[in-house]
Amino acid sequence: MDGLELIERIDRWGTLAPTAIAHESDGRAITYQELKTHSDALAGCLLDELPDDRSPVMVLGHKEPELVVAYLACIKAGHPYIPLDTALPAQRLEIIRASSGARLTLSPQGVHERITLHASARPSETPHEGATQMENGSFERVAYKPEDPFYVIYTSGSTGTPKGVVISLGNLNSFLDWMLVEHPLVEQDEVFLGIVPFSFDVSIMDLYLCLYAGGTHRSLTRDEIGDPARLHRALARSGATAWISTPSFARLCLVERGFGAGTIPNLRRIVLAGEVLSHELASELLDRFPGVPLWNAYGPTEATVLSTSVQLDRELLGRYPDVPIGFPRPGGSVLVMDENGQPVAEGERGELVIVGPHVSPGYLNRPDLTSQAFFTLGNQRAYHTGDWGRALGGLLFFEGRHDDLIKLHGYRIELGDVEAHLKALPGVQDAVVLPTWRDGQPERLVAFIILSERPVRDDFQATLNLRRHLSERLPGYMLPQLYRFVDTFPLTVNGKADRKKLAEMLT
Amino acid sequence: MSVTSTTASKVLDVLVRITGTDEVRRNLDLPLFDTGLLDSLGVAELIIGLSDTLGIEIAPSEVERDLWSTPRQIIAYAEERIKA
Repeated sequence: MDGLELIERIDRWGTLAPTAIAHESDGRAITYQELKTHSDALAGCLLDELPDDRSPVMVLGHKEPELVVAYLACIKAGHPYIPLDTALPAQRLEIIRASSGARLTLSPQGVHERITLHASARPSETPHEGATQMENGSFERVAYKPEDPFYVIYTSGSTGTPKGVVISLGNLNSFLDWMLVEHPLVEQDEVFLGIVPFSFDVSIMDLYLCLYAGGTHRSLTRDEIGDPARLHRALARSGATAWISTPSFARLCLVERGFGAGTIPNLRRIVLAGEVLSHELASELLDRFPGVPLWNAYGPTEATVLSTSVQLDRELLGRYPDVPIGFPRPGGSVLVMDENGQPVAEGERGELVIVGPHVSPGYLNRPDLTSQAFFTLGNQRAYHTGDWGRALGGLLFFEGRHDDLIKLHGYRIELGDVEAHLKALPGVQDAVVLPTWRDGQPERLVAFIILSERPVRDDFQATLNLRRHLSERLPGYMLPQLYRFVDTFPLTVNGKADRKKLAEMLT
Repeated sequence: MSVTSTTASKVLDVLVRITGTDEVRRNLDLPLFDTGLLDSLGVAELIIGLSDTLGIEIAPSEVERDLWSTPRQIIAYAEERIKA
């Protein structure tokens, strides 16, 4: 894919299939014609509002059709977008706004045909509202170069400040080129389930593959996913042909015994990514969806959604004790390196280093963090994942992290991020956050807290207070579920909180 | 409803395990979702836990979240199912 072929293709469906549904969520839909008209109009407004400088624009919402309009409008106007979910509390949004330098936030206001601009000319000003005329569609699209930033996705940072991963148009095109070969799509006959929120980069795969093929992106809301009966009604009605989710979500659905190929008869592919896939879940999916290709895939946000993939079958599962994360994608490579940056021998454990055209230019406005994690190998961009792994016969296996980053139900969480915010709360003297584990995977977060004054009787009330305060700073998926109040932490010989001993207190 | 009934105490045992707090025993009207004690994966775990413990099959597709939002409601659901 060259230049803006992606956007051109999506626009073309506006002429070829004007009434086809491009995106649908919570009973509200947008056609391809509307998507084209509205995104052109909004792009025109953005061109008036912002200089042609590739500065990022925040787009805030939860799965609404207007978000897709806004993403395309940003690109058409020459600005990368930062997809943000309403699960993020205001304080975190403010940190992202300040650190990204975004001058504008786009967010839907519930009325289908209109998008309200929350604009502030300078970061110091209070955002003001001003409705936009969507009919005013005359504008000239800004020329985008492969190195221009396309989107910026914010992930948890170890010190409590999220960091923005920049993905360029060239990165995205490289990813989509690979995906379109691996998953041949039937034009105008695909329904992609939108399971993860747009702030999580797995959604880049389902949204853009779907729009590229002129399919329908059927996005499930948080409320639907959180209500078992509603979820199963939505899945049964979806007509989905593509399922891309975390293993956690698949497991959640499989609790319903009757759930399987009969429920989603048109399903053509299942792709799981974002966390470790167990043998048991993979086998169960093969049983429930016979004949539907099942893929496992892996990749950090820093290397454009996915870097490895493999189609699973019983023979492959039977050959290895762990489910492989796959082969490196074509055009890229995944090296297993020791601490000196030298490749380890076949089958040895080392750090996974990703090399190729899909590796990000770095973190937005953070040259310090960028130079720590990214480097150039030969003439290609490379990224230190911080993930342990090993390669056997070309297949890669994931073996955990060598720091405090965990993947909880697909969400990337730096334990230090949660700890920093806990320690900033009034009354908290010190805090350590640890995951509990089940079958080798993190299950939930536990916070060990030293309070300046411990409530005499009511630990539960203290828990609720902490949770409430923390939820003003962190999204729900980062909140510890369990809180244990202690008077002191056991210490290591270096005088640091002994995480191992604390973890033992949980068993 | 008495929490001394066998079903109720079994339900509460499962709830204590999943939410990690005894508070669910002390306050049967505790809003489990609003307090963050249960989320979508927690509900799935609860369904599995209750099915195993009580020996009944609970289909998630029959579980309306609004009717499962406090310990008292979940106990009532379980007792109803066992009676039926």
